[in-house]
This record gives sequence, structure tokens and C-alpha cells, in this order.
Amino acid sequence: MSKFRETLDAGAFAVVAELKPPKGIGVDDMLAPVKALSGRVTAFGVPDNEHARMRLAAVAASRLVKDAGAEVILHLTCRDRNRLALESDLLGAASLGLENLLLISGDYVTLGDHPQAKPVYDADSVQLLQIAQGLMDGHDSVGLPLQGNPAFFLGAAVIPEAEPLAPQLLKFEKKLVAGAQFFVTPPVFDLEKLSRFREKIAAHSVKLLVSVKVLGAEEMALAAAGTWRKVYSVPPELVSDLAGKDPEDILIKGAAAAGRLVKQLKQEKLADGVYLKAKGRTDLLTKILEIAEL
Amino acid sequence: MIIAERKPFAEIKAMVAPYKKILIVGCGTCVAVCLAGGEKEVGLLASQLKLALGLEDKRLEIGEITVERQCDLEFLRPLCDFTADYEAIISMACGAGVQFLKQLCSLQPIFPGVNTTFIGVNNEVGYYTERCRACHNCYLGITGGVCPVTMCPKGLLNGPCGGTIDGHCEVDPERECAWSKIYHRLELEGRLDNIREILPMHPHDRCTSPGTVIHPAYKRRYGINE
Repeated sequence: MSKFRETLDAGAFAVVAELKPPKGIGVDDMLAPVKALSGRVTAFGVPDNEHARMRLAAVAASRLVKDAGAEVILHLTCRDRNRLALESDLLGAASLGLENLLLISGDYVTLGDHPQAKPVYDADSVQLLQIAQGLMDGHDSVGLPLQGNPAFFLGAAVIPEAEPLAPQLLKFEKKLVAGAQFFVTPPVFDLEKLSRFREKIAAHSVKLLVSVKVLGAEEMALAAAGTWRKVYSVPPELVSDLAGKDPEDILIKGAAAAGRLVKQLKQEKLADGVYLKAKGRTDLLTKILEIAEL
Repeated sequence: MIIAERKPFAEIKAMVAPYKKILIVGCGTCVAVCLAGGEKEVGLLASQLKLALGLEDKRLEIGEITVERQCDLEFLRPLCDFTADYEAIISMACGAGVQFLKQLCSLQPIFPGVNTTFIGVNNEVGYYTERCRACHNCYLGITGGVCPVTMCPKGLLNGPCGGTIDGHCEVDPERECAWSKIYHRLELEGRLDNIREILPMHPHDRCTSPGTVIHPAYKRRYGINE
């Protein structure tokens, strides 16, 4: 069983740090936080062509992280693969010892750096969870038997600040039925909204990892200009405090704010763990952990 | 109906550059309604070509004709004798019409005058939007009359993605999220149970192209076993 799963099952607070697979094969920067923080982090998240921008294959990157001695949560999106590719990549991941999965639809191709690429979405994220569950049960998506079943710990995304929320909750329930065992949110800054969301899903016994993000100068400028368009809100006081400052200052102060948020999430038991998005930088992740006293 | 857009003039001019005598064939149904390839657009293209080539001291003889539907044998057959006198043909029909015209009538090179874009509706004059991807497995009965395959850019069958912002789509902020709309309509109709069950993956084997449909009443005629 994965350490990440054991941590959640034991009711302990999981800390996941997101890495940035490179655009290329120079993996030293990606692996730097693994070497520095393995002892303080439960697992490392490895995105799959995040924001529809082409990067080193997440499965390969995940194996490199594992070889460096850490546990991984591998993301797999429906955007770039049909059902054959999804299934064989899932088996491939299992054969490389990758157990924790975050199965998501994936940002649309026109939002990324290959806007003319053909979007696939042969399966959606609910169906992908079913596929992974089926593989664990010993068969592929057409019912053919497997030679050796994989074992996965299945994760999915849920959006606490979705507007409207009701269709999102309906999908959340479908994901539970399809086999999701833990959920990861987009970045959260507003704990009141998160708290209200937790009340809405209180009937379900699920493990929830809340993403905490260090915003960069570009994102801060968007928020300050009123052109922010994300599935999460940023508090105006954070924007007025940081917008227009030196980009490095924004990151360092943002990491400090993120650390305080993580501490609060843990103290108020609003999450079963956190998913830290800090540009894959060791110094920012270290600052968050220090301030959060983790 | 099928919506098309006329190709850029420079592209059409370059395609027919080697020829001295061409025929432009319009189509009087879908592409006429969407102002891309009907009789008026045939005339406009002919005038544009004559004017542009005249400025370059070149001569191009252009014939013009528009048939009711280029996708229909009945309307194409009478055209075949007429096309023989020309070195090349520009068809202003959708892609189906272009291919059928070439198959039935033309030994000459044929060139499309429009880009076929989608199956859609005529909202107002000059304003057309997509509604159907001809997916072979219509979901509209369970999704409140909103197509998740077409109206959701990702074609998701089990609810919204994580990109819905204030009920709008992550891909196009001007467009309402298809799944917000589906949910809202079914809620109003008291039919939300329709979408609580997980829909399976789409049967893409039915969509293998090129598709063929034979009406059940005509199966014997075409030698298809019942």
C-alpha cells in the first residue's frame, strides 16, 4: 500500500508538493525538491501536460521521482489519449510501481501551447475512474481479462467554488460511485467558501486534499486588473498587498501566505491534506512548510 | 443545415490560376441560406475573379450555374453535359456536394469554393451556430435538449469539467457551459434522475467514416439482409 494512502487512512495530514516536469529532458530542476524535501513531504504530484502545455511525459517523470526515493501522485488526463492509450498507460504506470493517480479531464487544447492539436476526450474523468477500477478488478474496458491486475489509489478533482455548484456536486457523486478514493481541489484562498463546501459533502466519507498555491506576478497582475478568470477566487487584500511588487517578492510573500493558509487548514481540520503548488521550487516549498510548521 | 464559409479569394484565385475557362457551380440549399455558396455568391465570385484577372491583363472565361442541391443525384444529372465544356470547376457546395459532383459529372479538376464548417442553425441573417456533430447516438432525450457532444467542447457525457466559471465555458467565456444548461433544464423539468446514472463511453465504432445509412424499407432493393 502507498505511503500516501496509509497517511490518509490513518487520519494524518498529508502533504503533497507539485513538481514541474520540464519542457525537454533536463530533469535536475524537477527533481531538486524531491532530494531536498522527501523526508517532509508525503508524496510529489506530477502533472500531465498541465494547462495543455507539452512537457516531459508524466509517467516517465513519475518513475524518475520514484527512483529518486519519493512517492508520487501521477496525473492522467483524458485530453490526449483515447481509451486504448488510457488503459495501456494505466497498466504502464502500475508496472512502474506508480499507484497513486489523479484522473482528470484536462484543460482544453486551445488554452495551451499546441492549440491546433486534436482534443481526444474519448473518456471523461468519471469514465476514466471506471476504467481504472475495472483494471483493478481484472478486466479492461471491453471486459477482456488481464494478466496481472494493477493496484491503484484513485483520485479525482472537485471544485469547491464552482458556480453553479449543483452540477459539480452531481459529478462529484458520480466520481465516488466510479471509484474515487480521494479528491483534490483547485487552489483555495477563501476558507469560508471551502467550509461551506465541506458542509455540502459532509454526508460522504471522502479524503479531501486542498490545493494551496503561490501566485506569480503575472497572475497577480490579472487579479489586480480585474481580468481574473479562474475557478477559484483570490482575496482582494492579498492582491492589493502584492500586485505590482517585484516578481520574486511576490513569490516569497505568496509562499508565506500559503504557509499560513496550510497551518489554518490543518488546525481547523478543513482538509485531510494539502496539495502545494509552488512552481516546483524547493525554496518556496520549504518556506511554506516552515511557516505551516510541517 | 450545413453551414459553410466561403474560402478566401486569394486561395480560390490561386487554385484556378492554370485555367482559361472555368465553371462555378452554386448550391441552392444549405450554403445558399448561409450566404456562402448560392446563386448570389456564385455571381459575386465570378465578378471578383474577372475583375482581379482583368487588372493583371489576363482573360478567364467563367460559366455560372446553380442547382438546387449538389448532394442529390436528381439535381446533378442534368448538369453533367453542361460541365464538359470547361477546363476546371469550382463547386460552392459543402464537401459532400463537391465530391458528388466530381463523382457524377466531371472529368476535369474540381475545386471547393467554400470551407464546410458544421451542422447548425440560422439564428439571424448572417449568424449561424453549431448544434450537432452527427455522432450517431443522440443523447438529447436525456440531456434536456442540449447536446453534450456538441455544446461542450470536450464532449463530456457525465457532467461539467472543472473549468466552468460563473456558468460559462472555460474554452469560450462568452458561451454558457453546456452542463450548467443541461442541469438547469432537467431541474426545471423534474428530470434530474436522467443524468445521475453514469453514461458509458461513446460508441465510436458507429462513427467510422465514411458512414452509410440504408432506410429499412429499401434494404431489399440494395441487397442488404434484414
